[in-house]
Amino acid sequence: MRLSEIKPNKIVDARGSFCPGPLMELIKAIKEAEVGEIVSVYSTDSGSKRDIPLWVQKAGHELLGVFEREGFTEFVVKKKR
Amino acid sequence: MTKNVLIVGGGTGGTIAANLLSYKLREEIRRGEVRIQLIEQSKRHFYQPAYLLIPFGLSEVSEAVKSERELLSESVELITERATRINVEDRFVETEKGKYTYDYLIIATGSVPDPSQVQGLSEGAHHFYDLDSSLKLEESLAKFNGGKIVVGVAGVPYKCPPAPLEFTFLVEDYFRRRHMRNKVEIEYLYPLPRVFPIESVADFAYNIMLERGIKANLLFNIESVDPGKKEIISMEGDSTKYDLAVIIPPHRGADVIIKSGIGDKGGWIPTDRYTLNMKNYDDVYVIGDATDLPISKAGSTADFEASVVSSRIADSIRGIKPRAVYDGRVMCFLLSKIGEGSLLVFDYENPSKPVKPNFFCYWYKMAYNRLYWNITARALLPGFGV
Repeated sequence: MRLSEIKPNKIVDARGSFCPGPLMELIKAIKEAEVGEIVSVYSTDSGSKRDIPLWVQKAGHELLGVFEREGFTEFVVKKKR
Repeated sequence: MTKNVLIVGGGTGGTIAANLLSYKLREEIRRGEVRIQLIEQSKRHFYQPAYLLIPFGLSEVSEAVKSERELLSESVELITERATRINVEDRFVETEKGKYTYDYLIIATGSVPDPSQVQGLSEGAHHFYDLDSSLKLEESLAKFNGGKIVVGVAGVPYKCPPAPLEFTFLVEDYFRRRHMRNKVEIEYLYPLPRVFPIESVADFAYNIMLERGIKANLLFNIESVDPGKKEIISMEGDSTKYDLAVIIPPHRGADVIIKSGIGDKGGWIPTDRYTLNMKNYDDVYVIGDATDLPISKAGSTADFEASVVSSRIADSIRGIKPRAVYDGRVMCFLLSKIGEGSLLVFDYENPSKPVKPNFFCYWYKMAYNRLYWNITARALLPGFGV
């Protein structure tokens, strides 16, 4: 499957969120998701590019892709455990 | 025909919205064209920021609780009943005693700290997210003879994002002032790779931790607590021991939202970030913690949103296209110790540029605990002029 064909089970629109911020929104969505499901998070916070990959790796999930969209960045994460 | 504005929830958002509407629509209410009803099961109104201060003796019950009726404008009809179902299709709210129809509905049902979502949390840890728990924590801190105190967050979202940081700083100051600091180890657990979501705040807060010997344990998302072993386990596979744990419980939406099936999995209502309408319902507004917006669940958020929503409803009632929009504004104090604090203000477009902790912010915060009752809750200065 190509990255562009990934269909997330849930999209979290965290644009404009500085506090609690996109990573917190992602953590919440991953907690609620089932193992194997895909969560996509939209962020306008520049810190996300560092935070999100760090957390995904530490928590043992998989970062399927990071996409530059118009005015925001999309992170696509698969829940692995 | 009389237009009914119905508000569910008499916390900060609901109370301010009711008061603002009663002022804005004074003439219409007098002529019998508009009626404002507020459904709230409790006769008491709680000022929740006091719960953070009570454990340290910096506030007390009389500053945290007052009569809801006394805060509300005379023209607001207070219905002291428990809302059991909200039907947005047929435009009514049911309580245990009756059924109330509306032309405009404001949902301000808040959030519920729910320790039962995390195994071992209720038995193993303290928190300060309701009055009883805050008083219990005051007692435990007073009796604490030394050991390791762990402060953390067991799930997102939670009310008042700076609260765990403030609690950590205040507990350090508390034991230093009691000449016990050398007997107390303090560890701060946080889900993110830094000590606070906003980078500029995280930087100065982390420096304070270094200066004051507080250990930060980051990327620590609490999965469970083992009260027997006095140990906290993270989703990431780490663990830490404690003698006294203060852990903020995960929050969920109100029971009435979950039972009515109008929220998402966590019980948060899908809300338009600018108009604050419940998505797909232009006669229903959502304010405060009840929304699913990715912004801080905080009293200031509810206050600013109440101002937007009451303007929009007043416009609609007068036949004008609603003009006010919410810009995502939030304002939070951050106490760094007794006598020192900072102030954070931010919105959807602009991150916070926090001021260096200083005495004035601390003083303002402490004064605000009283101003809330006389000014903010009575909606005498909507949005506190910000």
